[in-house]
Amino acid sequence: MASPSSDASPVLRLTFLAVLVIALFLALFARLWFLQVLTGDRYVELADSNRLRTVVSEAPRGSILAADGEELVRNRPALAISADRQVLLDDAGEPRDEEAERVIARLGELLDLDHDEVIDRLGSQRRSPFRPVPIETDVPQEVVFTVREQQELFTGVETETLPVREYPEGTLASHLVGYIGEISQEELLDPEFTDYLGGDLVGRSGLEQSYESELRGTPGRRLLVVNARENVLDVQSDRAPIPGNDLITTIDLDLQQATERLLEEGIESSRDIQRDDGRFLPSVAGSAVALDARTGAVLSMASYPDYDPREFLGGLSQDYAELLFEPESYQPLVNRAIAGEYPPGSVFKTASGAAMIEAGQIGPRGTRDCDAEFEVGGVTFRNWNRGVNEGPMDLSDALKRSCDTYFYTLAYDNWQQEQAQDDPEEALIEVGERFGFGRSLDLDLPGELDGRLPGRAWRQAYWEANRDRWCEQAEAAPEGSVERELLADNCQFGGAWRGGDAVNSSIGQGDVLSTPLQVAASYQAIANDGVLMRPHVGDRIVGPDGEVVEEIEPEALGDLGLDDQVLAVMREGLEAVLMDASGTGESAFDGFPLAEIPVAGKTGTAEAGPRVPYSWFVAYAPADDPEIVVVVNVEQGGGGSQTAAPIVRNILEHHFRITAAEDAEFEAGEEILD
Amino acid sequence: MEIGYGQDREQRMLRDRVQARWTSTYSPVRHLDPVLVLTALALTGIGLVAIYSAKLVALSSQDLPTTFYVTRQLIALAIGVIAMVLAAIIDYRQVRIYAPALYGIGLILLILTLTPLGTEINGSQRWIVIGGFQLQPSELVKLSVLVTIAALLHESKGAPHIGHVGLSLLLTLVPTGLVFLQPDLGTSLVFIWGTAVLFLIGGVQARYLIGLVVGGIGAIVVGWQQGLVAEYQVSRLTAFLEAADATAAQTAAFQTRQSLIAIGSGQFAGKGLFEGTQTSLSYVPENHTDFIFTVIGEEFGFLGASVVLGLYLVLVWRGLRIAILSKDMFGTLVASGIVAILTLQVFVNVGMTVGLMPVTGLPLPFISYGGTSLIVWFAMIGLLLNVHMRRF
Repeated sequence: MASPSSDASPVLRLTFLAVLVIALFLALFARLWFLQVLTGDRYVELADSNRLRTVVSEAPRGSILAADGEELVRNRPALAISADRQVLLDDAGEPRDEEAERVIARLGELLDLDHDEVIDRLGSQRRSPFRPVPIETDVPQEVVFTVREQQELFTGVETETLPVREYPEGTLASHLVGYIGEISQEELLDPEFTDYLGGDLVGRSGLEQSYESELRGTPGRRLLVVNARENVLDVQSDRAPIPGNDLITTIDLDLQQATERLLEEGIESSRDIQRDDGRFLPSVAGSAVALDARTGAVLSMASYPDYDPREFLGGLSQDYAELLFEPESYQPLVNRAIAGEYPPGSVFKTASGAAMIEAGQIGPRGTRDCDAEFEVGGVTFRNWNRGVNEGPMDLSDALKRSCDTYFYTLAYDNWQQEQAQDDPEEALIEVGERFGFGRSLDLDLPGELDGRLPGRAWRQAYWEANRDRWCEQAEAAPEGSVERELLADNCQFGGAWRGGDAVNSSIGQGDVLSTPLQVAASYQAIANDGVLMRPHVGDRIVGPDGEVVEEIEPEALGDLGLDDQVLAVMREGLEAVLMDASGTGESAFDGFPLAEIPVAGKTGTAEAGPRVPYSWFVAYAPADDPEIVVVVNVEQGGGGSQTAAPIVRNILEHHFRITAAEDAEFEAGEEILD
Repeated sequence: MEIGYGQDREQRMLRDRVQARWTSTYSPVRHLDPVLVLTALALTGIGLVAIYSAKLVALSSQDLPTTFYVTRQLIALAIGVIAMVLAAIIDYRQVRIYAPALYGIGLILLILTLTPLGTEINGSQRWIVIGGFQLQPSELVKLSVLVTIAALLHESKGAPHIGHVGLSLLLTLVPTGLVFLQPDLGTSLVFIWGTAVLFLIGGVQARYLIGLVVGGIGAIVVGWQQGLVAEYQVSRLTAFLEAADATAAQTAAFQTRQSLIAIGSGQFAGKGLFEGTQTSLSYVPENHTDFIFTVIGEEFGFLGASVVLGLYLVLVWRGLRIAILSKDMFGTLVASGIVAILTLQVFVNVGMTVGLMPVTGLPLPFISYGGTSLIVWFAMIGLLLNVHMRRF
């Protein structure tokens, strides 16, 4: 025991010390149990995220090719200078240290960029933190050498080869191909884009968008083991990027070039045409579609004016963006062939004629008088060919002459019959849809519009949506004016589908709307013995190894449901449009070797308010064994026979090797405003 | 019955045997405490493995021999064992006589450390380099202050009067101040703690003890307000409390965070020897010295960490037993003082790695890389043996 003079106090005090010591040790044990056993999982994750870095490398995007294998879009390797944000910038987006500051300064000098510009690009939130941020793409070889040879002066800077989209054919098929752009913040949140990272490129329109999942490929992913100074110690896993698949389209490159050229030349030449009223045709815009008559494959598709997809690479410039959205530019980004909705005018008469026969208003050979005018409810509807009664006509003749009154009378009779029913089945809507109007044709391009087949239900809904506005406007209009009367009538009775509406719709006017593609598809069905095929641009998808991944088979969307006789009479009428001396399209095909290659077609001149009418022409050839359907629409291009028909003729002449597009000349047809 | 030569011889032999038994009983060498020595050696062995593991990747990436630190630590161990033997051989009661001299030498070394003779590493001037060996005088002074105060309190025979308490306090605060100037906050706290425990065991009256605690807290508050504590020390101290000022506390917070990740990710059984990623990839700074416990926690898990803490508890148990068995006050004080310093260093060091305590530069006894610390700790084991052997 301790000193003899002491009492029990040293032992007591030693016990106190022992208790203190045990308490401290217990605290350590408890803390270790908590950290390692109770919450250890969390720290395992943290340790992994500490030591593992994911580096993503872009997969080369697939090419888009024409049917013959020519590339419409491909990838070109471009030299790029990239930098690692984590090495150079801190969390606040400022240079991490003095060394980083010096590297940034050197980089700015090398690339001739502002110091702040380098930091801005490096810190761009649109870029993924998991891979080097490209500071400049398409740099000259010397710049790459400079960085590589003096890597110690450029810590965190890398040289890489990035795939850049290239358009060997320039603006050719720009609306079909579409363009790509960096993924947006909103899209990154979209579940559809879960495996995308900031800075990824994504198809923004056209085939680039609709075949995004095939073209994109799978990005490479390297899992690196790094130490606290971000030095790479090991590669834990390395998945090489898998290049995207190529898309081979149904586009006939030669025909596509011809279509674009002939559409543009035709539209621009037509502006020299002086109308009967002395005005020149404005012909502001237009589009053309050529389909394979048997399969529905899109052979060519053009929209005028067009744009240059190369301008979208690396972000759109301010100037070009302004140009694109200027009103005088007439929306060059819109693919009018599928996203232009126009009244179809007389090209709709095939569908409306079939509807009247289906409704039992007339037989295929039954006739109606082609009178000069027709009166409904105090309003006079005139035939386009003012003031002459052309005598009795059957469907064939009515198509050949594009006789409006033939359709007026039938539509009016049909309207009356439908009015008598409680819940009428509207023949025009039912048959119109079979022809492909008023609905999507499921084309493999984004932005395809449905057009419109109006009827009773549509009118009612339209009125309900606009009634309040019309009533207010009627109140505001001056007392006793025609305008007020009209608005008041609309306000009160606007929900009624009237005889005049039915009459207007029968000739593709009024509230009927259609895209050029729908018109082409409806004539494709007529040419294809009544079977409507799904229009498609994709033909097959080919893997990077050249193996076919997927064949896009032609697919029937439906049948016109017409008697053979009805179809025969209709085709007879369409052939007569071009091949009979009195046909409305005859003048435009003067000199075309119709004896060897018979052509069937239809003119259309769609009224659009006070503006110059829209010119339509659709044709299929050879008429006896159709292989191609071509439609052309020219906005404010005057009569169908005048502007659209000669363009179709030139396209057909190119296709059948009669006159090559380069040698073709635009010769306006007769001004027939059917 | 014939009483002959043989009987006498038997009696003589019996007497010899009894004599021999008595002398052997009292022979100090026969009263070594093998548990104490083996435990200390076991901890040192674990330390060598942990140091090797901590620096394996770093050393091989610098093309240095992977045994660089281990070799140096083994040399220190050899010197430590010699120090332990020396500290055990000389009768500890004689140490009392040499205490003033030990104290004086320690003080001179501390002063020299602060002169240009001292070496500065990481902003702290703690070392004197002698022939390629870095000596850390504050570790030696730990021992000399302990012995000096114990000797002084021994004189007061369990009832120290105010004069002895005052002198002890002064003798503690002078080296404490010098260490604080290096700066080495951790070691200066060890001095104060050691003296406080000696006061407790040495029989200083409760009212003095309470008065000293209150005065000490007052001194800390004043020191804080007067800015005597360097900025980095404040930030290190507050970092584990997740202080609001993120930039100042950033380094300490990073150390603590990485240390927590290392130990936590070891889970129950550990990642296995040399498998610790936090350790080998240098996420935990100073992981062969102050943060060596992270290596043990990461690679050997809760199990391994518990074994290490258990071994320390064995040392504490043997130390307290020696303190109780000691036949004089000086022995009790030395033994309990050693136990107290050991406990404090283990608690502060391990507590720092698990986020219970602020980041201060205190080594983990026997395990952390550092020659002076290892040698001094073996010398302390020697002192414990000394007290133990001479308990009769």
